[in-house]
Amino acid sequence: MRKYLFIFKSEVMSNLQYITNISISFIGIFLMLYIFLNLWKFIYSDPNELINGYSYNQMIWYVIFTEVIWSVVGGRKMCAKISEDVKAGNIAYNINKPYSYIGYCLSTNLGLCAVRAMLYIVLGLLIGLLFLHSFPSISILEAIAVFISFVFAIVISILMLTSIGLLSFFIEDSGPLYWMYSKFILVLGTIFPIEFFPMWARGILKYSPLNAVNYGPATLYVNFSWNSFILVIISQIVYLFIIYMICKLIYMKGVKRLNVNGG
Amino acid sequence: MPIIEVKKLSKTFKVKIKEKGIKGSIKSIFKPKYKTIKAVKGISFEVEKGEMIAFIGPNGAGKSTTIKMMTGILYPDAGSIKVIDYNPVKQRKQLAYNIGTVFGQKEQLWTHLTPYDNFKFFGAIYDIPNSRVEKKIEELKELFELGEFINTPVRNLSLGQRIRCEIVASLIHEPKVLFLDEPTIGLDPVVKENIRSLIKRMNKEYKTTIFLTSHDVGDIEKLCKRVIIINNGTIVLDDTMENLKYHYLNKKIVDAKMREKVNLEDEEGITILKDKGYNLKIEVDTRKRSVADAIKLLNPDNIVDINISNIPLEDIISNIYKKEDKK
Repeated sequence: MRKYLFIFKSEVMSNLQYITNISISFIGIFLMLYIFLNLWKFIYSDPNELINGYSYNQMIWYVIFTEVIWSVVGGRKMCAKISEDVKAGNIAYNINKPYSYIGYCLSTNLGLCAVRAMLYIVLGLLIGLLFLHSFPSISILEAIAVFISFVFAIVISILMLTSIGLLSFFIEDSGPLYWMYSKFILVLGTIFPIEFFPMWARGILKYSPLNAVNYGPATLYVNFSWNSFILVIISQIVYLFIIYMICKLIYMKGVKRLNVNGG
Repeated sequence: MPIIEVKKLSKTFKVKIKEKGIKGSIKSIFKPKYKTIKAVKGISFEVEKGEMIAFIGPNGAGKSTTIKMMTGILYPDAGSIKVIDYNPVKQRKQLAYNIGTVFGQKEQLWTHLTPYDNFKFFGAIYDIPNSRVEKKIEELKELFELGEFINTPVRNLSLGQRIRCEIVASLIHEPKVLFLDEPTIGLDPVVKENIRSLIKRMNKEYKTTIFLTSHDVGDIEKLCKRVIIINNGTIVLDDTMENLKYHYLNKKIVDAKMREKVNLEDEEGITILKDKGYNLKIEVDTRKRSVADAIKLLNPDNIVDINISNIPLEDIISNIYKKEDKK
């Protein structure tokens, strides 16, 4: 475990050098959120109105929360990096080290996400405060519980993206798969909560990984209850295990097909 | 007892082939065609503990594939490998704790961190207690003269400094075998020499077995006592450097500047390489003719200046490659 903590620490140290670059992406996140805030303002003609069980304030905090998760993970680059490592054979230089490659990916990407999270959480809170002039009513203990769920969401997302990236062992380019995954996650759960979909779809979506990677933790933040927390955390632990096993299986099968020609 | 044992090792790659043009691209979607490339064809060799061995060959000969199989990166199709009593296929992780690798063309260090932080990182991934890592860093810092730049981010180091740090990073866990894949590539002659002497010192101080691949004859000549030449996936020569030179250096090059024109023709043991009237370059096969005979043919009184030299090792090795290619 010490080695993975060290990999995490090294990645944090390394990314702190890029803090200005990371901060520049504030502009993109701000613009994105500004568009959504206005969109929802238009939909909610009356701020006290409830749409599918969400007040205007809850809806805005929901979108801010899921957008922060989305930006912290920054899936496209993460997936492309793993995919490129597999295709170009760079993965070979990680295989001959005494650590698990999946553990290495998880630690490095968590290191990167940790630096982004420090900045984006503050940014998200400031944007929310600027537009809504208040925070969701949540105690410190509940905030800690939400944060735990947030971390689980990030870990599960990283494992999902690692699995997609590792599929490059079998297909020429995992980019199209990532494209489908990202659009699925963006529409189902990031922009719109599950309650906005037809009844028949809600049942499926509630038991899908969406509950673990965005919808679950975001609803906890806007409408916290300990019962929901337990359900979300159980679903996150189950999905963490399932996705880790899938990721490991893809890696184990894929690494035997590794083709590294030349020096 | 050998520290590395390779027996009848083979590896084949399956590579997709595509006919030219857009038609070929569409065809390859529906009916993909593959060809198999036999990268390594049943090679066997052994390396003794503490040996510094050169494993050389032209591009595409199978060197890197062999190293990658020996370090557990690639799975062999057939044959067996034992490195320090470990089977790289089944005990990759255990083996990783006991070997070090330096790939001259690939950075292993974290470029945004300093060499010191990198060494601490490598210490942690090899599960070495912190106090031991500190001691080792101090020791290697002295040996590899890193004092001046140990706290400078790797991205700001020169290539020579970076390679020194790469080697140190691969030694933090005191590996028994070190695989050096073109460690001096891209370096200037002074830095090359410096790296070579450091590798020599490291081999002497820690008795580390060194398995070196390089296209630089200087690396091979100055570091290794034994050389294995691989070409087209098979071993074409496995001999000591001394024997290689003895068997192949029986040819001398005589470069002479003459007072008057000499009309010489090829004869047994003597080959005219260049004849520009007053300047002659001849090759003497000392198994058939002595150098003195060649000088007599030129007439010593007619010689203004003369230079007798061995055939460069580089030419010997490329001749071996060419000979094998013709087969």
